[in-house]
Amino acid sequence: MDSPFSALLTIISQLSAGLVYTLGIFFFTLIFSLPLGLAVARGRMAKNRIVSNLVRFYISIMRGTPLMLQLLLVYFGPYYIFGISTGKVKLGVFDYRFIATVIGFSLNYAAYFAEIFRGGIQSMSKGQYEAAQVLGFTKMQTYFRIILPQVIKRVLPSVTNEVITLVKDTSLAQVLSVTEMFTAAKMLASAQVSVIPFIVAGFFYYVMNGIIEVVMNRIEKKMNYYS
Amino acid sequence: MSVLEIKDITKSFDGLSVLKGISLTVDKGEVVAVIGPSGGGKSTLLRCATTLENVDGGSISIGGDVLVSTEKSGHPHYCDKATLQRIRSKFGLVFQNFNLFPHFSVRRNITEALIHVHKKDRIEADLICDKLLVKMGLEEKADAYPCNLSGGQQQRVSIARALATNPEIIFFDEPTSALDPELTQGVLKVIRELAAEHMTMVIVTHEMSFARDVADRIIFMDGGVIVEEGPAEQVINHPMNERTKEFLSGY
Repeated sequence: MDSPFSALLTIISQLSAGLVYTLGIFFFTLIFSLPLGLAVARGRMAKNRIVSNLVRFYISIMRGTPLMLQLLLVYFGPYYIFGISTGKVKLGVFDYRFIATVIGFSLNYAAYFAEIFRGGIQSMSKGQYEAAQVLGFTKMQTYFRIILPQVIKRVLPSVTNEVITLVKDTSLAQVLSVTEMFTAAKMLASAQVSVIPFIVAGFFYYVMNGIIEVVMNRIEKKMNYYS
Repeated sequence: MSVLEIKDITKSFDGLSVLKGISLTVDKGEVVAVIGPSGGGKSTLLRCATTLENVDGGSISIGGDVLVSTEKSGHPHYCDKATLQRIRSKFGLVFQNFNLFPHFSVRRNITEALIHVHKKDRIEADLICDKLLVKMGLEEKADAYPCNLSGGQQQRVSIARALATNPEIIFFDEPTSALDPELTQGVLKVIRELAAEHMTMVIVTHEMSFARDVADRIIFMDGGVIVEEGPAEQVINHPMNERTKEFLSGY
């Protein structure tokens, strides 16, 4: 029987290996879903009815079905629906298991971010657009220089909420057998017949979210130079 | 030479006719005040002239460029993008509620369009900005943000922003309506100074004595038409039309 100390070391080292995947899912999802959310928000507000209704349907599916189910669909869909074998698909060091996880998370989170951004964009006063227009700014300049910076400040608290949820949601990647931290904790718990791995994993998630809160608070403070 | 030429413009919102054929010519150096009851079409006239609303008919030209003209078929024809861009650099607009960019400092509010629309370098833009801030009595406020300024100061910044691109004509849409009486004076003083420099201006206002003092010509609008028009002194002190008399008796 191992000493309690070496058991704890095993837990920490194995969870750390899982943590790398957790962080990977987390950062890649943010990198893809934030810009995609912005694009989806634009589509949702499009004047073209077909576009806006299509986007609305996409958002309702993403929000109305379990993320776990969406992950399974992205992973198994290509083979079962289109007969495409994904076993050999690789992007650098990432296998399709991981890629499918990131795709599923990104599509799902983009829908949530889109609704947050839409709220922010629609809360901007018409006067800001009009002032920019008569000054001669193009639509792009108006969007990126005048509107978006103000929208970011307004949506930050809601975005922080989603980001914190995302940290915890990464544990759903276990359905695709991605060995992220939660999967690692589960395996260790059954191997060691102990709940300690779960407690340590919980601590890791909690610390990650603590860091996120501190960082987001700083950004919020930085943007408080105007009201 | 006329800077602004509006001919017979019409505009309706959801079937409600707001402008019923308005014509107005403003010469270089002239100050025209537009008065009248709310809902009489004053702001809509201004919004049509400043490209914020499209007319249903009639024609508008600014600084010799045709913004919109209406052919015999009755359909208004708007100019192309390049002309529109040129026209927008020929006028400035001061809004009732300022519409400053809250995330930009006073300096950036004034210089942003100079740098990114008019492609001036930062040094030149800063020089223009400094000059304007002195003129507005706000030289200390270049680095302040709009939220730290009083309403009167914000409105003066927005006047500076409108002046920065050296426009041929400036439109004011009730520039003091959102201000306390105390703060109104500073803004009116700035507009008076501009009038003394022969800046061409069209001012929609509810300040009758100010309109009489500063304007060369006053236009009284009600029900989507120009009811009375004439030299400022005459319209305010000796109105001819019954409707004008009735309106002015309220002041």
